[in-house]
Amino acid sequence: LNHRNIPLFSLIGLCVFSASAFSFSCEELLFYPAQPLSLSLSLSAKSETVEKVCTIVRKQLALPEDSAVTGESKFVALGADSLDTVEIVMALEEEFGISVEEESAQSITTVQDAADLIEKLVEKNGA
Amino acid sequence: MFSFLRQSTFTMKVHCFERKFCVSSSSLVPLPLPSRMETHFWYILPDEVKSSSLLNQYLDLLSPCEKENVFRMHGDRLKKRAILARALVRTTIARYQINSEVSPRSLKFRKNIHGKPEVEWQLDDDWRPPPLHFNISHTSSLIACGVTMDSLIGIDVEEKQRTIKNNILSFAQRYFSHHEVELLTSISDTEVQRQEFLKLWTLKEAYVKALGRGFSGAPFKTFTIRYGGAISGNVNSEASQIVVESCDDSTSHTSNWEFTLLELSSHYAAICTEKDNNAFEGGTLFLWNKII
Repeated sequence: LNHRNIPLFSLIGLCVFSASAFSFSCEELLFYPAQPLSLSLSLSAKSETVEKVCTIVRKQLALPEDSAVTGESKFVALGADSLDTVEIVMALEEEFGISVEEESAQSITTVQDAADLIEKLVEKNGA
Repeated sequence: MFSFLRQSTFTMKVHCFERKFCVSSSSLVPLPLPSRMETHFWYILPDEVKSSSLLNQYLDLLSPCEKENVFRMHGDRLKKRAILARALVRTTIARYQINSEVSPRSLKFRKNIHGKPEVEWQLDDDWRPPPLHFNISHTSSLIACGVTMDSLIGIDVEEKQRTIKNNILSFAQRYFSHHEVELLTSISDTEVQRQEFLKLWTLKEAYVKALGRGFSGAPFKTFTIRYGGAISGNVNSEASQIVVESCDDSTSHTSNWEFTLLELSSHYAAICTEKDNNAFEGGTLFLWNKII
């Protein structure tokens, strides 16, 4: 289930359905601010993005499946040199359909940096 | 041990030496500072460092900040490489007859505004620091440090056997200049293409590192590395000019830069230095292999 692709109104519909089990009234839920919903949406998307970045990084650096690669991991600390970093950026461009400028690429030092940049660029594409 | 692949000037002389990798200043055989015509290229092979007590001695030379960086590295191999890279820089620079205050441990470093490391000399009223420049590069099996006097320097080393995970032509189309893409496209043998790609990468990387402005300061697409024709009268057919050209204005050669490309212990090594326009002859490259 890709959170990004589900229109917001149908998600609210789902919540209304499950809300009745918790004795919320339909009107109350519909007027709840969208913020909590979108917050959880963006958190999930980020962790999914982080996971994809980790996979690409592991592949580029030929790291074993069980090696510790998380959002905090610095590329340099994982053994990436400049060619690895550029290769990773290129793989991310292809995976997410984005274009990363040199200034942005240079500022990426961790997996989380890459994931955050991807989110920003994907959102810009979608706008 | 090494061979020239390409050299900028046919008169470049090369001297190869082996020097012991020493920890304390007292056992460092002092060297005079390089002349403006010289490039010193120091390198070590991490696999030759087997003693963990020696590694600890090298670790001891590092600043607290450098030690922190070492411990952040994942795994012993990367930690070892990080220790050796910093130890190489410190012992190399301290070896030159700078002054009696300078030792491998006492040296301080900082980064310029673009992130390029440089020496932070401890200034004294009576003393002016030498215009010494250095640049490091490392792979898992070779760590190198280039040193020049009064000239910007950038170096890059890559393992010859290194595989490219992306499609080479796609990568080149994304990041390299039009001329370089044409060059690579014209090579039908995939292995030769991979090798030529790596050579171009090391040369471009060395140039950007010499400029010291970071990857975005001189995006790879904005300049071309071109292999010019052989210099007339030169016996060695391998030697041909390597030049860098700005893509914006193909008629202007950025002629201030000198390139050297060599094969060294199963690596490609590219060295880029500022040319001394007053010099009629090529400079001298000193290759120092630090052995344990």
